[in-house]
Amino acid sequence: MDTTLEVRHLSVKVGNDLLLNDVNMLIPSGEVHALLGPNGSGKTTLLMTIMGYPSYNVVEGQILFGGQDITHLDSTERARLGIRISQQRPPTIAGVKQRQLLDYMVGGDAMAKPEVARLVEMTGMTSFLDRDLNAGLSGGEIKRSELLHLLVADPSFVMLDEPESGVDVGSMKIVGQLINKLFTRDTEHPALRRTGLVITHTGQILDYIEADKGHVMLGTTIACSGNPRIILAEAGESGYEACVRCLAEGACR
Amino acid sequence: MSTTYKAETNVTGSPVQVTPEEARELEQVGVVVDSQERSGTYILNDDHSQCSPIVVGGLELLPIAYALKKYDWLSEYFWQLVSPDKDEITREIAAQPEPQGFFLRVRKGSKITMPFQAALHMTSPDSTQAVHNLVIVEEDGELNFITGCVSGHHVHRGLHLAVTETFVGRSATVTNSMVHNWGPGIKVRPRAATLVEENGTFVSNYVSLEPAGDIQMDPLTILKGDNATARFYTVILGSADSLIDTGGTILLQGKNTSAEVVQRAVSVGGHMIQRGLIVGENASKGHVDCSGMLMGKAGAGSIKAVPGIESKHADAQLSHEASIGKIAQEQISYLQAHGMDEAEAVSMILRGFLTQGVVGLGEDLDARIRDITDLALQAEG
Repeated sequence: MDTTLEVRHLSVKVGNDLLLNDVNMLIPSGEVHALLGPNGSGKTTLLMTIMGYPSYNVVEGQILFGGQDITHLDSTERARLGIRISQQRPPTIAGVKQRQLLDYMVGGDAMAKPEVARLVEMTGMTSFLDRDLNAGLSGGEIKRSELLHLLVADPSFVMLDEPESGVDVGSMKIVGQLINKLFTRDTEHPALRRTGLVITHTGQILDYIEADKGHVMLGTTIACSGNPRIILAEAGESGYEACVRCLAEGACR
Repeated sequence: MSTTYKAETNVTGSPVQVTPEEARELEQVGVVVDSQERSGTYILNDDHSQCSPIVVGGLELLPIAYALKKYDWLSEYFWQLVSPDKDEITREIAAQPEPQGFFLRVRKGSKITMPFQAALHMTSPDSTQAVHNLVIVEEDGELNFITGCVSGHHVHRGLHLAVTETFVGRSATVTNSMVHNWGPGIKVRPRAATLVEENGTFVSNYVSLEPAGDIQMDPLTILKGDNATARFYTVILGSADSLIDTGGTILLQGKNTSAEVVQRAVSVGGHMIQRGLIVGENASKGHVDCSGMLMGKAGAGSIKAVPGIESKHADAQLSHEASIGKIAQEQISYLQAHGMDEAEAVSMILRGFLTQGVVGLGEDLDARIRDITDLALQAEG
């Protein structure tokens, strides 16, 4: 199945603000790309737009998934095509229980399915099943809850918005391992991976995912692309702007 | 220990009779006529009373007019919590030559765990129903009763007036779940009052999800005895053109009494008022929590929350909260990104909103709330 994601000349407004300007990106089937860059450069906006959230208004350009133009599909249709996201700050929904959402996702009693029960246990969400969705969760718990949904949904294209943010050192390993599991479709064929796009600030998560490529967002667009580890090392030393200049000049280490 | 009572023989003695159409209408409000899981059934169809045989010991059911003749001592209860001169509603009920309604008694120490059900059913196209019910649960007794109020679909205009006086004895527990399913042309004026003795508990669940014309009520609960408790949970969907004004006034008279009033309302074009007043007259605790969600076309509906607390005692701890907002788009989007369509997402959010903080409605009411979304969406669509 072709799960290539392509973004062509994408410009996006939220309200009157132009938050993405002429973004281009190609993520071939089975590749995982990292999205890097400083705060406010448009990384989250790109993910939310790919997911089809209605307040992100595409004013120009196209999003293609598996060759299909999905620019005008709503979130439901995109989710049903296999595109899913782990949000950084998912909303609390009062009175709606974690269990209800899982039941919806599997179309029945989720905990009656051994594979779902295993995932609930693995993500440590057992004691959260009858709590309101996302209510009062710590940073690490939010990530584990979001990862549980992704693992249950088994999507073909996954987006993670800063999976390491707010996660304490102790929880990082388990979150990292869950993400590794998420992208490894088949342990016997490590090259067969789920296609994805991961926002990371620190690059910490790259200890758990082999990212094929990194893109730097700067000032509402993708300024450069390259090896994510080299970009992070360079940016860590002299900042993203210097890193972009350096890559443009081809003078990086 | 407690005395054992035999199942009572009633004046009617035979099972209640309803047409299949009536049975369907009653089921909508949780009254299941042929259910094996009810301790007894009372049906008032316009002004025709029917009492079923009672299948458990310790529970007595009589038409109120018959009970008043049978028991002289009922004069110590009848019209004692609600004054016949309270307003024009009570005056009209008091003016009836023979009162309609039921008398229900739970004998001392009897735990009636299987719900009792009462249906107030209006079926004539243009009618007035005036009801006076009396419920007495004696010391250590327990009663779980369902009141379903419904009008037939061909009833275009009607007036439903009701007085219900409930006496909750020492250490007794009473749970009343009331479901209203009135048509848009019905004006509804219940006047309920409850007295709770020492260590007694009164729980009132009120659900109205179908289009209702005009409902106004503010039941009074007096926690007279020490350690008495009352909880009111009100869940309402206000369809276009409906006027629904619900409240609950609770007087905390005994020491260490406590009360909670929780109101949840969704307006899809209806005008709604959520009231709640807790008065601390002794060392006590009380909390009023109103929250509303406004949906539908702008300017079509309204919600007004009037949570109230009044203290007459330094050791009364009283608090209230209220909020009114719209359904959050980010919540809808989040659920859509999990594969739900918009209607499914709105449905799940509304259900959650209406039931948050509302505990133990029971399966019947939960099931009805599960259906609410269709109604909300239809009304909105």
